[in-house]
Amino acid sequence: MGMIRIISRSFPLTLLPLTARAEWTVNLSPGVTEISRSIYDLHMTIFWICVAIGCVVFGIMFWSIFHHRKSRGAKAHHFHEHTLVEVIWTLIPLGILVAMAVPATATLVKMYDPKDAGLDVQVTGYQWKWRYQYLDQDLDFFSNLATPQEQVTNDQAKSENYLLEVDRHLVLPTDTKIRFLLTANDVIHSWWVPALAVKKDAIPGFINEAWAQIDEPGIYRGQCAELCGKDHGFMPIVVEAVSPEEFQQWLVAAKAEKAAAAEAANRSWTLDELMQRGEQVYLGTCAACHQANGEGLPPAFPALKNSPIAVGDVGAHIDIVLNGKTGTAMQAFRDQLDPVELAAVITYERNAWGNSTGEAVSPTQIADRIGAAQGEGN
Amino acid sequence: MSHILQRWWRTLIGVLSGFFGVQSERRREEDFKEGRAIHFVVVGLLMAALFVIFVIFLVRWALSLSGA
Repeated sequence: MGMIRIISRSFPLTLLPLTARAEWTVNLSPGVTEISRSIYDLHMTIFWICVAIGCVVFGIMFWSIFHHRKSRGAKAHHFHEHTLVEVIWTLIPLGILVAMAVPATATLVKMYDPKDAGLDVQVTGYQWKWRYQYLDQDLDFFSNLATPQEQVTNDQAKSENYLLEVDRHLVLPTDTKIRFLLTANDVIHSWWVPALAVKKDAIPGFINEAWAQIDEPGIYRGQCAELCGKDHGFMPIVVEAVSPEEFQQWLVAAKAEKAAAAEAANRSWTLDELMQRGEQVYLGTCAACHQANGEGLPPAFPALKNSPIAVGDVGAHIDIVLNGKTGTAMQAFRDQLDPVELAAVITYERNAWGNSTGEAVSPTQIADRIGAAQGEGN
Repeated sequence: MSHILQRWWRTLIGVLSGFFGVQSERRREEDFKEGRAIHFVVVGLLMAALFVIFVIFLVRWALSLSGA
């Protein structure tokens, strides 16, 4: 009694969230693809085989201990070897393993067969975001964490999908075999979406293949599953499965949006417009390292506030954002952001947190710089 | 002649017991007394090669069954 009281006083929290525990699932997800369901079935079959083995082995052991107890005068029988028993305890596990290998092999062969896919999507891991390229569709975008920094620092209540929400979903059609080509830009990442039963390493210089055919429309969330640096836990995956018709509509809309963004690069932007847009881009793309207050996390991530680059020559500032800096975590943002976003974020960095250059960098300036660099490359 | 055959046969049994992982103490002692190390090495390598070939065929057969 005294013990129970001590335990319940010391750990009152363990008794409280009983209602939460009812929804707390620890088992594998059955998922939404044929493969994920057969993996789930295999998992459950093997689980019950393990339970049966455990019951038999521990049952015999406990019965033997109890039945041959010392108080009944049991005497240990000393012998060194028993070939027949050894053969039996080798053959039985062998039989069980072969029996489990048969269905497991059938599923594995299916998993590793990405032939005849209706859609190819290249997935590239970056520190710390994912890039999705719809091959043959001329569509390509980055998917960044959408959870606000205030929720991470507990200055705001955490939302339902805390750290599992992104700005742009990977939209995929249902009832279509989709092949994923996985690679990475910097370090090893791993693209993991439990509901699709896909968990594959994304390795720089390698292309790994995986595939999924989604049966039900819905939102499926996942995460990077290979420790990849500071924000490994802040690069979630959100797959949005829609019907093939809706997917076609989405493709058209996404391409129109891309064209509109290209169009917007040609008009002139005011300083206020650039600052407003730049703040959004900064918080989504730059703040993870350089921090929302522009003070960075030195020495790995330098401050932008009063930095020689952010208040110095604008050309050097544009170049470092476009091309990154070799040997540091500073990435090349040339392909990650469009000219408007690049112009806006550079303008923002030059005029925020007391940096007061008053300069507005125009999208055409960025486009010219990129064009000039490409000209030199040729 | 039959003596030599018998010796190789015993070596084979010894090697296969090793592969399986179970061998009686009596046979093990006999092997160490009467067998020659080079026989065990030759038969061991041969059996290992056979095992690899067996696994290759097993995989091919499994793949052909699943139509891949």
